[in-house]
Amino acid sequence: MEGKYGVPVAPISTIEYKKVVDMNPIGKVLQFVYTPHPVVGVAQDTLYDYISGDDPHSGKPVNIGIMDLLTKMVNPIKAGAKPNSSARQEDCNNLIGPDTEENLQALFYKKGWTEGLPIIVPTEERVRKMLEGTNVNPDELVAEVFLEDTNEVVKSTVANIATIAVMAGAETEYLPVILAIASMAEPSLRPSTTPFGSMVLVNGPIAEKIGINSGLAAFSAVNKANAVIGRAWTLISHCWGFSQYKKTLWSSLGNNFTYNNMCVAENEKRSCWQPFHVQNGYKKEDNAVSLFRGWTLINSSGAPSNRSVTEEMNILYEAIPSVYSNATIIMDPLVAKELKDKQGFKTKEEFSIHLSNSIKIEAGKFWAADTVQMLLGSEAERGVEPYSTWSRLNNEELINQYHDPKQIRIIVVGGETSPLFIATDYRHLGTASIDKWLPTQNETDCIEGLCGLPDKFNSYDD
Amino acid sequence: MKSTKKIYAISPVSGDKVLSKSEEVDFSPANRLSTLEGKTVYLVDTGFGGSAYFMLALQKWFSDYYPTVRTVRKRKPGNVFMEDENCEKLWKEISEKGDAAILGVAG
Repeated sequence: MEGKYGVPVAPISTIEYKKVVDMNPIGKVLQFVYTPHPVVGVAQDTLYDYISGDDPHSGKPVNIGIMDLLTKMVNPIKAGAKPNSSARQEDCNNLIGPDTEENLQALFYKKGWTEGLPIIVPTEERVRKMLEGTNVNPDELVAEVFLEDTNEVVKSTVANIATIAVMAGAETEYLPVILAIASMAEPSLRPSTTPFGSMVLVNGPIAEKIGINSGLAAFSAVNKANAVIGRAWTLISHCWGFSQYKKTLWSSLGNNFTYNNMCVAENEKRSCWQPFHVQNGYKKEDNAVSLFRGWTLINSSGAPSNRSVTEEMNILYEAIPSVYSNATIIMDPLVAKELKDKQGFKTKEEFSIHLSNSIKIEAGKFWAADTVQMLLGSEAERGVEPYSTWSRLNNEELINQYHDPKQIRIIVVGGETSPLFIATDYRHLGTASIDKWLPTQNETDCIEGLCGLPDKFNSYDD
Repeated sequence: MKSTKKIYAISPVSGDKVLSKSEEVDFSPANRLSTLEGKTVYLVDTGFGGSAYFMLALQKWFSDYYPTVRTVRKRKPGNVFMEDENCEKLWKEISEKGDAAILGVAG
Protein backbone atom coordinates (compact mmCIF):
# COMPACT_ATOMS: atom_id res chain seq x y z
CA MET A 1 0.00 0.00 0.00
CA GLU A 2 2.88 2.36 0.76
CA GLY A 3 4.87 1.95 -2.45
CA LYS A 4 2.04 1.37 -4.94
CA TYR A 5 -0.66 3.68 -3.57
CA GLY A 6 1.37 6.18 -1.56
CA VAL A 7 -0.61 5.64 1.64
CA PRO A 8 1.30 5.75 4.94
CA VAL A 9 0.64 2.63 6.97
CA ALA A 10 1.20 1.76 10.63
CA PRO A 11 1.44 -2.03 11.00
CA ILE A 12 0.67 -3.51 14.42
CA SER A 13 1.47 -6.92 15.87
CA THR A 14 1.38 -8.41 19.33
CA ILE A 15 4.82 -8.80 20.89
CA GLU A 16 4.50 -12.60 20.72
CA TYR A 17 4.88 -12.47 16.94
CA LYS A 18 7.88 -10.15 16.81
CA LYS A 19 10.01 -13.17 15.91
CA VAL A 20 7.82 -13.86 12.90
CA VAL A 21 8.09 -10.22 11.85
CA ASP A 22 11.86 -10.37 12.23
CA MET A 23 12.15 -13.54 10.14
CA ASN A 24 9.99 -12.22 7.30
CA PRO A 25 11.73 -10.35 4.46
CA ILE A 26 8.99 -7.72 4.36
CA GLY A 27 8.65 -7.58 8.14
CA LYS A 28 12.36 -6.93 8.41
CA VAL A 29 12.12 -3.66 6.51
CA LEU A 30 8.91 -2.33 8.05
CA GLN A 31 8.66 -0.59 11.38
CA PHE A 32 6.01 -2.15 13.60
CA VAL A 33 4.16 -1.09 16.71
CA TYR A 34 3.76 -3.92 19.22
CA THR A 35 1.01 -4.51 21.76
CA PRO A 36 0.94 -6.95 24.67
CA HIS A 37 -0.22 -10.47 23.86
CA PRO A 38 -2.90 -11.77 23.39
CA VAL A 39 -5.57 -9.63 21.76
CA VAL A 40 -7.91 -12.54 21.16
CA GLY A 41 -10.34 -13.43 23.91
CA VAL A 42 -9.61 -10.40 26.11
CA ALA A 43 -12.05 -7.75 27.30
CA GLN A 44 -12.66 -4.60 25.30
CA ASP A 45 -11.38 -2.50 28.23
CA THR A 46 -8.11 -4.42 28.18
CA LEU A 47 -7.65 -3.74 24.48
CA TYR A 48 -8.29 -0.06 25.13
CA ASP A 49 -5.64 -0.15 27.85
CA TYR A 50 -3.17 -1.76 25.44
CA ILE A 51 -3.54 1.30 23.19
CA SER A 52 -2.84 3.73 26.02
CA GLY A 53 -0.17 1.48 27.50
CA ASP A 54 3.42 0.89 26.46
CA ASP A 55 4.71 -0.97 23.44
CA PRO A 56 6.61 -3.85 25.10
CA HIS A 57 9.35 -3.56 22.46
CA SER A 58 9.98 0.19 22.18
CA GLY A 59 8.77 1.20 25.63
CA LYS A 60 6.79 4.05 24.07
CA PRO A 61 3.00 4.25 24.41
CA VAL A 62 1.32 2.28 21.62
CA ASN A 63 -0.76 5.31 20.56
CA ILE A 64 2.37 7.47 20.24
CA GLY A 65 4.06 4.75 18.22
CA ILE A 66 1.12 4.66 15.80
CA MET A 67 1.12 8.45 15.45
CA ASP A 68 4.86 8.49 14.83
CA LEU A 69 4.68 5.86 12.11
CA LEU A 70 2.04 7.88 10.25
CA THR A 71 3.58 11.31 10.66
CA LYS A 72 7.36 10.93 10.93
CA MET A 73 9.64 10.16 8.02
CA VAL A 74 10.47 6.54 7.39
CA ASN A 75 13.71 5.81 5.54
CA PRO A 76 13.56 3.87 2.26
CA ILE A 77 15.25 0.53 2.62
CA LYS A 78 16.45 -2.02 0.14
CA ALA A 79 16.98 -5.18 2.07
CA GLY A 80 17.89 -8.65 1.04
CA ALA A 81 17.07 -11.47 3.40
CA LYS A 82 20.33 -13.33 3.51
CA PRO A 83 20.20 -17.10 3.43
CA ASN A 84 20.53 -18.17 7.01
CA SER A 85 21.45 -21.73 6.47
CA SER A 86 24.75 -22.10 8.27
CA ALA A 87 23.25 -24.06 11.14
CA ARG A 88 21.38 -26.27 8.72
CA GLN A 89 24.42 -26.80 6.54
CA GLU A 90 26.24 -28.04 9.61
CA ASP A 91 23.37 -30.45 10.27
CA CYS A 92 23.49 -31.63 6.70
CA ASN A 93 26.87 -33.28 6.89
CA ASN A 94 25.88 -36.74 5.91
CA LEU A 95 27.72 -38.57 8.67
CA ILE A 96 27.39 -37.58 12.29
CA GLY A 97 29.85 -38.88 14.85
CA PRO A 98 31.51 -41.07 15.75
CA ASP A 99 29.89 -41.09 19.16
CA THR A 100 28.16 -43.46 21.53
CA GLU A 101 24.57 -44.43 20.77
CA GLU A 102 23.47 -42.67 23.96
CA ASN A 103 25.15 -39.42 22.92
CA LEU A 104 23.74 -39.65 19.40
CA GLN A 105 20.25 -40.12 20.85
CA ALA A 106 20.76 -36.95 22.88
CA LEU A 107 22.16 -35.09 19.88
CA PHE A 108 19.20 -35.99 17.64
CA TYR A 109 16.82 -34.77 20.35
CA LYS A 110 18.79 -31.55 20.81
CA LYS A 111 18.70 -30.84 17.08
CA GLY A 112 14.91 -31.13 17.10
CA TRP A 113 14.79 -34.29 15.00
CA THR A 114 12.72 -36.34 17.44
CA GLU A 115 9.53 -35.95 19.44
CA GLY A 116 11.24 -37.02 22.66
CA LEU A 117 10.83 -40.76 22.50
CA PRO A 118 13.98 -42.82 21.86
CA ILE A 119 14.84 -43.37 18.22
CA ILE A 120 16.69 -46.11 16.40
CA VAL A 121 20.00 -44.45 15.57
CA PRO A 122 20.20 -44.39 11.74
CA THR A 123 23.53 -46.01 11.03
CA GLU A 124 24.72 -46.43 7.47
CA GLU A 125 23.96 -50.14 7.57
CA ARG A 126 20.42 -49.62 8.87
CA VAL A 127 19.64 -46.94 6.30
CA ARG A 128 21.06 -49.08 3.48
CA LYS A 129 18.84 -51.94 4.60
CA MET A 130 15.82 -49.61 4.79
CA LEU A 131 16.44 -48.45 1.22
CA GLU A 132 15.79 -52.01 0.07
CA GLY A 133 12.15 -51.14 0.74
CA THR A 134 11.96 -49.11 -2.48
CA ASN A 135 13.38 -49.21 -5.96
CA VAL A 136 13.44 -45.45 -6.28
CA ASN A 137 16.87 -43.83 -6.41
CA PRO A 138 17.99 -42.65 -2.95
CA ASP A 139 18.81 -39.20 -4.37
CA GLU A 140 15.37 -38.68 -5.89
CA LEU A 141 13.46 -35.74 -4.47
CA VAL A 142 10.38 -36.78 -2.49
CA ALA A 143 9.14 -33.43 -1.20
CA GLU A 144 9.89 -29.74 -1.24
CA VAL A 145 8.37 -27.92 1.68
CA PHE A 146 8.12 -24.18 2.33
CA LEU A 147 8.19 -23.00 5.92
CA GLU A 148 6.44 -19.65 5.67
CA ASP A 149 7.33 -18.56 9.20
CA THR A 150 11.08 -18.95 8.67
CA ASN A 151 11.00 -18.35 4.93
CA GLU A 152 12.90 -21.54 4.21
CA VAL A 153 12.55 -24.17 1.54
CA VAL A 154 13.40 -27.66 2.72
CA LYS A 155 13.91 -30.59 0.39
CA SER A 156 13.84 -34.27 1.29
CA THR A 157 15.21 -37.13 -0.76
CA VAL A 158 14.35 -40.82 -0.63
CA ALA A 159 17.51 -41.31 1.46
CA ASN A 160 16.40 -38.66 3.96
CA ILE A 161 13.00 -40.27 4.38
CA ALA A 162 14.55 -43.75 4.67
CA THR A 163 16.80 -42.38 7.44
CA ILE A 164 13.76 -41.06 9.28
CA ALA A 165 11.97 -44.38 8.75
CA VAL A 166 14.87 -46.07 10.55
CA MET A 167 14.65 -43.51 13.36
CA ALA A 168 10.93 -44.23 13.76
CA GLY A 169 11.57 -47.96 14.06
CA ALA A 170 10.09 -48.94 10.70
CA GLU A 171 10.33 -52.30 9.01
CA THR A 172 11.70 -52.15 5.45
CA GLU A 173 8.28 -52.88 3.97
CA TYR A 174 6.78 -49.80 5.68
CA LEU A 175 9.03 -47.49 3.64
CA PRO A 176 6.77 -47.10 0.55
CA VAL A 177 3.93 -45.92 2.80
CA ILE A 178 6.20 -43.47 4.59
CA LEU A 179 7.56 -42.16 1.28
CA ALA A 180 4.01 -41.69 0.01
CA ILE A 181 3.15 -39.72 3.16
CA ALA A 182 6.24 -37.52 2.73
CA SER A 183 5.48 -36.98 -0.96
CA MET A 184 2.44 -34.91 -0.03
CA ALA A 185 4.73 -32.31 1.59
CA GLU A 186 2.30 -31.75 4.44
CA PRO A 187 3.60 -31.52 8.02
CA SER A 188 1.76 -33.28 10.82
CA LEU A 189 2.72 -30.35 13.06
CA ARG A 190 1.04 -27.29 11.62
CA PRO A 191 2.46 -23.85 12.46
CA SER A 192 -0.58 -22.48 14.23
CA THR A 193 -1.48 -21.34 17.73
CA THR A 194 -4.44 -23.73 17.48
CA PRO A 195 -4.27 -27.45 18.39
CA PHE A 196 -4.28 -29.15 15.01
CA GLY A 197 -4.39 -32.93 14.98
CA SER A 198 -3.57 -35.12 11.99
CA MET A 199 -4.57 -38.53 10.68
CA VAL A 200 -3.09 -41.14 8.29
CA LEU A 201 -5.35 -43.58 6.44
CA VAL A 202 -3.95 -46.46 4.38
CA ASN A 203 -6.02 -48.23 1.74
CA GLY A 204 -5.29 -51.18 -0.51
CA PRO A 205 -3.83 -54.68 -0.14
CA ILE A 206 -0.60 -53.35 1.38
CA ALA A 207 -2.38 -52.55 4.64
CA GLU A 208 -2.97 -56.20 5.42
CA LYS A 209 0.36 -57.27 3.94
CA ILE A 210 2.40 -55.11 6.30
CA GLY A 211 0.02 -55.46 9.22
CA ILE A 212 -1.67 -52.10 9.61
CA ASN A 213 -4.55 -52.54 11.99
CA SER A 214 -7.97 -51.59 10.62
CA GLY A 215 -10.08 -53.66 12.99
CA LEU A 216 -10.31 -54.20 16.72
CA ALA A 217 -8.71 -51.35 18.69
CA ALA A 218 -7.39 -49.81 15.46
CA PHE A 219 -6.60 -46.53 17.21
CA SER A 220 -5.20 -48.13 20.37
CA ALA A 221 -1.51 -48.21 21.20
CA VAL A 222 -1.12 -51.89 20.39
CA ASN A 223 0.16 -52.29 16.86
CA LYS A 224 3.63 -51.73 15.45
CA ALA A 225 2.81 -50.66 11.88
CA ASN A 226 0.21 -48.11 13.03
CA ALA A 227 2.53 -46.76 15.71
CA VAL A 228 5.65 -46.53 13.60
CA ILE A 229 4.23 -45.28 10.29
CA GLY A 230 2.22 -42.61 12.09
CA ARG A 231 5.25 -41.65 14.16
CA ALA A 232 7.40 -41.38 11.04
CA TRP A 233 5.18 -38.58 9.72
CA THR A 234 5.84 -36.52 12.83
CA LEU A 235 9.58 -37.24 12.76
CA ILE A 236 9.58 -36.11 9.11
CA SER A 237 7.83 -32.92 10.23
CA HIS A 238 10.47 -32.39 12.92
CA CYS A 239 13.27 -32.85 10.40
CA TRP A 240 11.59 -30.41 8.02
CA GLY A 241 11.76 -27.86 10.84
CA PHE A 242 8.18 -27.70 12.08
CA SER A 243 9.03 -28.14 15.76
CA GLN A 244 11.00 -24.96 16.38
CA TYR A 245 9.55 -23.27 19.45
CA LYS A 246 7.98 -19.92 18.56
CA LYS A 247 9.48 -20.03 15.09
CA THR A 248 7.33 -22.70 13.50
CA LEU A 249 5.67 -24.28 16.53
CA TRP A 250 3.01 -22.06 18.06
CA SER A 251 0.27 -24.39 19.24
CA SER A 252 -0.67 -23.13 22.68
CA LEU A 253 -1.96 -26.49 23.92
CA GLY A 254 -0.41 -28.81 21.35
CA ASN A 255 -2.06 -32.04 20.33
CA ASN A 256 -1.20 -35.46 21.72
CA PHE A 257 -2.51 -37.22 18.60
CA THR A 258 0.59 -36.12 16.71
CA TYR A 259 2.62 -38.86 18.41
CA ASN A 260 1.29 -41.34 15.83
CA ASN A 261 -1.25 -39.24 13.93
CA MET A 262 -4.09 -41.75 14.31
CA CYS A 263 -2.50 -44.00 11.71
CA VAL A 264 -4.93 -46.73 10.60
CA ALA A 265 -6.08 -48.66 7.57
CA GLU A 266 -9.66 -48.69 6.37
CA ASN A 267 -11.44 -51.94 7.19
CA GLU A 268 -12.22 -52.65 3.57
CA LYS A 269 -13.08 -56.32 4.17
CA ARG A 270 -15.84 -55.54 6.66
CA SER A 271 -17.06 -52.29 5.15
CA CYS A 272 -20.24 -52.48 3.10
CA TRP A 273 -19.28 -49.34 1.18
CA GLN A 274 -16.65 -48.34 -1.37
CA PRO A 275 -13.15 -47.85 0.08
CA PHE A 276 -11.94 -44.29 0.57
CA HIS A 277 -9.18 -44.46 -2.06
CA VAL A 278 -11.65 -45.77 -4.66
CA GLN A 279 -13.85 -42.76 -3.91
CA ASN A 280 -10.79 -40.69 -4.77
CA GLY A 281 -10.06 -42.19 -8.16
CA TYR A 282 -7.90 -45.21 -7.33
CA LYS A 283 -8.66 -48.84 -8.13
CA LYS A 284 -9.47 -51.20 -5.32
CA GLU A 285 -6.22 -53.10 -5.88
CA ASP A 286 -4.17 -49.88 -5.74
CA ASN A 287 -2.35 -48.91 -2.57
CA ALA A 288 -2.82 -45.34 -1.41
CA VAL A 289 -2.39 -43.23 1.68
CA SER A 290 -4.56 -40.29 2.65
CA LEU A 291 -3.78 -37.50 5.09
CA PHE A 292 -6.23 -35.47 7.16
CA ARG A 293 -5.99 -32.51 9.52
CA GLY A 294 -8.37 -30.77 11.87
CA TRP A 295 -9.05 -29.44 15.33
CA THR A 296 -11.98 -31.28 16.81
CA LEU A 297 -12.66 -34.94 17.47
CA ILE A 298 -15.50 -36.37 19.51
CA ASN A 299 -15.92 -40.07 20.23
CA SER A 300 -19.45 -41.38 20.46
CA SER A 301 -19.39 -42.54 24.05
CA GLY A 302 -22.04 -45.21 23.68
CA ALA A 303 -24.02 -47.07 21.10
CA PRO A 304 -27.10 -45.47 19.52
CA SER A 305 -29.52 -47.40 21.76
CA ASN A 306 -32.23 -44.79 22.22
CA ARG A 307 -31.68 -42.61 19.16
CA SER A 308 -30.67 -43.36 15.59
CA VAL A 309 -27.04 -43.07 14.50
CA THR A 310 -28.01 -40.09 12.38
CA GLU A 311 -29.56 -38.31 15.37
CA GLU A 312 -26.43 -38.99 17.42
CA MET A 313 -24.25 -37.57 14.65
CA ASN A 314 -26.45 -34.52 14.25
CA ILE A 315 -26.11 -33.71 17.94
CA LEU A 316 -22.31 -33.92 17.84
CA TYR A 317 -21.95 -32.01 14.58
CA GLU A 318 -24.17 -29.19 15.79
CA ALA A 319 -21.43 -28.59 18.38
CA ILE A 320 -18.47 -28.65 15.97
CA PRO A 321 -17.99 -25.36 14.08
CA SER A 322 -17.87 -26.03 10.36
CA VAL A 323 -15.12 -24.47 8.27
CA TYR A 324 -15.72 -25.05 4.56
CA SER A 325 -17.96 -28.02 5.51
CA ASN A 326 -14.94 -30.15 6.39
CA ALA A 327 -15.86 -33.27 8.33
CA THR A 328 -14.50 -36.79 8.50
CA ILE A 329 -16.59 -39.44 10.20
CA ILE A 330 -14.81 -42.60 11.26
CA MET A 331 -17.31 -45.34 11.88
CA ASP A 332 -17.29 -48.97 12.91
CA PRO A 333 -18.38 -51.44 10.18
CA LEU A 334 -21.48 -52.11 12.31
CA VAL A 335 -22.55 -48.49 11.92
CA ALA A 336 -22.01 -48.58 8.16
CA LYS A 337 -24.02 -51.82 7.95
CA GLU A 338 -26.88 -50.31 9.96
CA LEU A 339 -26.93 -47.21 7.76
CA LYS A 340 -26.94 -49.26 4.57
CA ASP A 341 -29.17 -52.18 5.49
CA LYS A 342 -31.65 -50.51 7.84
CA GLN A 343 -31.65 -46.89 6.78
CA GLY A 344 -31.12 -47.36 3.05
CA PHE A 345 -27.96 -45.37 2.40
CA LYS A 346 -26.46 -47.36 -0.46
CA THR A 347 -23.25 -45.35 -0.61
CA LYS A 348 -21.12 -43.16 1.59
CA GLU A 349 -22.01 -40.24 -0.68
CA GLU A 350 -25.74 -40.72 -0.07
CA PHE A 351 -25.20 -40.58 3.67
CA SER A 352 -23.00 -37.47 3.36
CA ILE A 353 -25.80 -35.71 1.46
CA HIS A 354 -28.27 -36.69 4.16
CA LEU A 355 -26.04 -35.34 6.92
CA SER A 356 -25.37 -32.15 5.02
CA ASN A 357 -29.09 -31.49 4.85
CA SER A 358 -29.93 -32.54 8.40
CA ILE A 359 -27.28 -30.83 10.56
CA LYS A 360 -28.63 -27.37 11.42
CA ILE A 361 -27.48 -24.63 13.74
CA GLU A 362 -28.44 -21.00 14.32
CA ALA A 363 -26.60 -18.49 12.12
CA GLY A 364 -25.57 -16.45 15.17
CA LYS A 365 -23.88 -19.45 16.77
CA PHE A 366 -22.11 -20.27 13.52
CA TRP A 367 -20.61 -16.80 13.05
CA ALA A 368 -19.61 -16.49 16.70
CA ALA A 369 -17.08 -19.32 16.35
CA ASP A 370 -13.60 -17.79 16.16
CA THR A 371 -12.31 -20.05 13.37
CA VAL A 372 -15.48 -19.53 11.33
CA GLN A 373 -15.27 -15.75 11.60
CA MET A 374 -11.54 -15.77 10.88
CA LEU A 375 -11.59 -18.05 7.84
CA LEU A 376 -15.04 -17.49 6.36
CA GLY A 377 -15.73 -13.87 7.32
CA SER A 378 -13.77 -12.49 4.39
CA GLU A 379 -15.41 -15.03 2.06
CA ALA A 380 -18.81 -13.64 3.09
CA GLU A 381 -17.63 -10.08 2.48
CA ARG A 382 -16.46 -10.82 -1.04
CA GLY A 383 -19.75 -12.49 -1.93
CA VAL A 384 -18.86 -16.19 -1.74
CA GLU A 385 -22.02 -18.26 -1.18
CA PRO A 386 -23.55 -19.50 1.03
CA TYR A 387 -21.46 -17.43 3.47
CA SER A 388 -22.53 -14.11 2.00
CA THR A 389 -26.22 -14.99 2.44
CA TRP A 390 -25.64 -16.48 5.88
CA SER A 391 -23.89 -13.28 7.05
CA ARG A 392 -27.12 -11.37 6.44
CA LEU A 393 -29.41 -13.75 8.34
CA ASN A 394 -30.88 -13.08 11.74
CA ASN A 395 -28.99 -14.83 14.53
CA GLU A 396 -31.76 -17.34 15.21
CA GLU A 397 -32.26 -18.47 11.60
CA LEU A 398 -31.12 -22.03 10.96
CA ILE A 399 -28.41 -22.91 8.47
CA ASN A 400 -26.96 -26.24 7.36
CA GLN A 401 -23.39 -25.44 8.37
CA TYR A 402 -22.03 -28.57 6.62
CA HIS A 403 -23.53 -27.37 3.35
CA ASP A 404 -21.16 -29.19 0.98
CA PRO A 405 -21.63 -32.97 1.17
CA LYS A 406 -18.46 -33.56 -0.87
CA GLN A 407 -16.45 -32.34 2.10
CA ILE A 408 -18.11 -34.82 4.48
CA ARG A 409 -15.84 -37.87 4.32
CA ILE A 410 -16.66 -41.28 5.70
CA ILE A 411 -14.13 -43.90 6.70
CA VAL A 412 -14.92 -47.38 8.01
CA VAL A 413 -12.60 -48.58 10.77
CA GLY A 414 -13.10 -50.85 13.75
CA GLY A 415 -13.57 -54.31 15.16
CA GLU A 416 -17.37 -54.64 15.32
CA THR A 417 -17.60 -55.05 19.07
CA SER A 418 -19.87 -51.99 19.32
CA PRO A 419 -21.56 -49.67 16.80
CA LEU A 420 -19.53 -46.56 17.60
CA PHE A 421 -18.18 -43.67 15.57
CA ILE A 422 -15.86 -40.67 15.81
CA ALA A 423 -17.02 -37.25 14.65
CA THR A 424 -14.24 -34.95 13.47
CA ASP A 425 -13.85 -31.71 11.56
CA TYR A 426 -10.80 -33.14 9.80
CA ARG A 427 -10.08 -31.94 6.28
CA HIS A 428 -8.82 -34.33 3.61
CA LEU A 429 -5.39 -32.99 2.65
CA GLY A 430 -4.84 -35.43 -0.19
CA THR A 431 -4.30 -39.01 -1.27
CA ALA A 432 -1.04 -40.32 -2.74
CA SER A 433 -0.04 -43.52 -4.43
CA ILE A 434 2.04 -45.96 -2.42
CA ASP A 435 2.65 -48.19 -5.44
CA LYS A 436 5.11 -45.85 -7.12
CA TRP A 437 7.45 -46.33 -4.13
CA LEU A 438 7.22 -50.13 -3.94
CA PRO A 439 10.28 -52.23 -4.70
CA THR A 440 10.22 -54.29 -7.87
CA GLN A 441 8.88 -57.69 -7.04
CA ASN A 442 11.22 -60.62 -7.21
CA GLU A 443 10.44 -64.30 -7.31
CA THR A 444 10.19 -64.58 -3.55
CA ASP A 445 7.82 -61.64 -3.30
CA CYS A 446 4.60 -62.53 -5.04
CA ILE A 447 1.56 -60.44 -4.16
CA GLU A 448 -1.78 -62.17 -4.64
CA GLY A 449 -0.32 -64.58 -7.23
CA LEU A 450 0.02 -61.83 -9.81
CA CYS A 451 3.66 -62.50 -10.67
CA GLY A 452 2.90 -65.83 -12.33
CA LEU A 453 5.47 -67.73 -10.32
CA PRO A 454 4.61 -70.81 -8.29
CA ASP A 455 4.06 -70.17 -4.58
CA LYS A 456 6.81 -71.15 -2.18
CA PHE A 457 6.45 -74.54 -0.55
CA ASN A 458 5.01 -74.26 2.92
CA SER A 459 6.23 -76.73 5.50
CA TYR A 460 3.70 -78.05 7.99
CA ASP A 461 3.92 -79.73 11.38
CA ASP A 462 3.78 -83.48 11.24
CA MET B 1 25.40 -50.98 31.25
CA LYS B 2 25.76 -48.21 28.68
CA SER B 3 27.71 -48.99 25.54
CA THR B 4 30.89 -47.01 24.95
CA LYS B 5 31.18 -48.21 21.36
CA LYS B 6 31.31 -45.28 18.98
CA ILE B 7 29.27 -45.30 15.79
CA TYR B 8 28.32 -42.96 12.96
CA ALA B 9 24.76 -41.86 12.28
CA ILE B 10 23.29 -40.62 9.00
CA SER B 11 21.78 -37.14 9.08
CA PRO B 12 18.03 -37.11 8.32
CA VAL B 13 18.21 -33.70 6.65
CA SER B 14 19.57 -32.97 3.19
CA GLY B 15 22.93 -31.35 2.52
CA ASP B 16 22.88 -29.03 -0.45
CA LYS B 17 19.20 -29.75 -0.88
CA VAL B 18 18.28 -27.64 2.14
CA LEU B 19 17.97 -24.03 1.11
CA SER B 20 16.91 -20.78 2.59
CA LYS B 21 14.77 -18.68 0.35
CA SER B 22 16.32 -15.32 -0.37
CA GLU B 23 14.06 -12.43 -1.26
CA GLU B 24 15.03 -8.90 -1.99
CA VAL B 25 12.52 -6.40 -0.73
CA ASP B 26 12.32 -2.86 -1.99
CA PHE B 27 10.45 -0.68 0.43
CA SER B 28 9.51 2.73 -0.90
CA PRO B 29 7.72 4.50 1.91
CA ALA B 30 4.85 6.87 1.23
CA ASN B 31 5.12 10.46 2.31
CA ARG B 32 4.08 10.83 5.93
CA LEU B 33 1.28 13.15 7.02
CA SER B 34 2.15 16.41 8.75
CA THR B 35 -0.74 15.86 11.13
CA LEU B 36 -3.68 13.49 11.61
CA GLU B 37 -6.04 16.35 12.39
CA GLY B 38 -8.97 16.29 9.97
CA LYS B 39 -7.67 13.22 8.18
CA THR B 40 -9.38 9.93 7.35
CA VAL B 41 -7.61 6.91 8.81
CA TYR B 42 -8.64 3.40 7.81
CA LEU B 43 -8.44 0.84 10.61
CA VAL B 44 -7.94 -2.46 8.78
CA ASP B 45 -8.23 -5.66 10.78
CA THR B 46 -6.49 -8.71 9.39
CA GLY B 47 -9.39 -11.01 10.28
CA PHE B 48 -7.22 -12.93 12.71
CA GLY B 49 -8.79 -13.66 16.08
CA GLY B 50 -9.15 -10.51 18.18
CA SER B 51 -8.18 -8.04 15.46
CA ALA B 52 -11.71 -6.79 14.84
CA TYR B 53 -12.20 -6.02 18.54
CA PHE B 54 -8.79 -4.36 18.74
CA MET B 55 -9.74 -2.01 15.91
CA LEU B 56 -13.01 -1.25 17.68
CA ALA B 57 -11.02 -0.25 20.76
CA LEU B 58 -8.68 1.84 18.60
CA GLN B 59 -11.64 3.56 16.98
CA LYS B 60 -12.98 4.43 20.44
CA TRP B 61 -9.56 5.73 21.45
CA PHE B 62 -9.45 8.05 18.42
CA SER B 63 -12.96 9.20 19.18
CA ASP B 64 -11.97 9.97 22.79
CA TYR B 65 -8.64 11.68 22.11
CA TYR B 66 -8.62 12.74 18.45
CA PRO B 67 -12.25 13.43 17.58
CA THR B 68 -11.23 15.36 14.46
CA VAL B 69 -9.77 12.18 12.97
CA ARG B 70 -12.33 10.28 10.90
CA THR B 71 -11.86 6.54 11.26
CA VAL B 72 -13.22 3.87 8.93
CA ARG B 73 -13.07 0.25 10.08
CA LYS B 74 -12.63 -2.44 7.44
CA ARG B 75 -11.71 -6.07 7.38
CA LYS B 76 -8.82 -7.04 5.14
CA PRO B 77 -10.33 -9.11 2.33
CA GLY B 78 -8.91 -12.45 1.23
CA ASN B 79 -6.61 -14.84 3.02
CA VAL B 80 -6.28 -13.97 6.68
CA PHE B 81 -2.61 -14.96 6.74
CA MET B 82 -1.27 -13.03 3.77
CA GLU B 83 -1.82 -10.31 1.22
CA ASP B 84 -3.50 -11.59 -1.93
CA GLU B 85 -5.27 -10.23 -5.00
CA ASN B 86 -8.47 -9.70 -3.01
CA CYS B 87 -6.80 -6.87 -1.08
CA GLU B 88 -6.32 -4.63 -4.11
CA LYS B 89 -9.87 -3.26 -4.10
CA LEU B 90 -9.56 -2.13 -0.49
CA TRP B 91 -6.08 -0.66 -0.95
CA LYS B 92 -7.44 1.33 -3.89
CA GLU B 93 -10.40 2.55 -1.82
CA ILE B 94 -8.07 3.66 0.95
CA SER B 95 -5.85 5.54 -1.50
CA GLU B 96 -8.88 7.34 -2.94
CA LYS B 97 -10.88 8.03 0.20
CA GLY B 98 -8.34 7.87 3.01
CA ASP B 99 -5.13 9.51 4.12
CA ALA B 100 -3.51 6.73 6.15
CA ALA B 101 -4.09 3.18 7.34
CA ILE B 102 -3.46 1.19 10.48
CA LEU B 103 -3.18 -2.55 9.83
CA GLY B 104 -3.20 -5.33 12.39
CA VAL B 105 -3.24 -7.24 14.63
CA ALA B 106 -2.87 -11.00 15.21
CA GLY B 107 -3.04 -13.24 18.22
